Amino acid sequence: MAHFHYFFVLAFIGLCAVGVNLGFRIRIASKLQQFLLVDALIIVLYLSWDIWAVFKKSWYFDPNQIIGLQLFGRLPIEEILFFVIVPLMGVLTYSALLKLTGWGATEEAR
Amino acid sequence: MIYSDIALDAVMVAVLLDLFIVRSKMMTRGIFWLTYGLILPFQLLTNWWLTANKIVMYSEAEIIGRRIAGAPVEDLLFGFSLILLTLSLWEFFSHKKLSKQN
Repeated sequence: MAHFHYFFVLAFIGLCAVGVNLGFRIRIASKLQQFLLVDALIIVLYLSWDIWAVFKKSWYFDPNQIIGLQLFGRLPIEEILFFVIVPLMGVLTYSALLKLTGWGATEEAR
Repeated sequence: MIYSDIALDAVMVAVLLDLFIVRSKMMTRGIFWLTYGLILPFQLLTNWWLTANKIVMYSEAEIIGRRIAGAPVEDLLFGFSLILLTLSLWEFFSHKKLSKQN
């Protein structure tokens, strides 16, 4: 199970995302295209940085605590998932807080 | 301390993009800071988990050395830039869609 230690962190954030999406009725699936567009840009920027840093050994991962699938033989698949799940959670948190506070409505009226 | 430099650059890129390029101006809106304030403790929690269990490790030569919740302080800059950039782009494309429909 140790191999899933990093993956579990992402699964935890993923579960929070599902909970927020359902609990606040965000219906993120209806904005999937918009999310993929945003995330594509995020992935290009941050994964380039990540790959470069991993090759330079600025940071590194315990081989026993990752699944073992690696992009370019170095970058754990978990890092790619990270840059999908974290932006998704960000957008969901933002959408939920817009609903909760109603601040979005007043700002759009301007 | 290359991580420190790039993390700072990432924040500057995110701020410039938000304020002057896509002009979502998330940084001027309370809702952004509320969102970031809610996400931050979760970042600290996951950072602590990832570093305390030595799932992710950092080269000491690349960071200034100060750590918060186990992770280099630079990680907070990285996290902030990621959230700002994501939400700024999200807002930008929201409005794009609206103007197309009108």
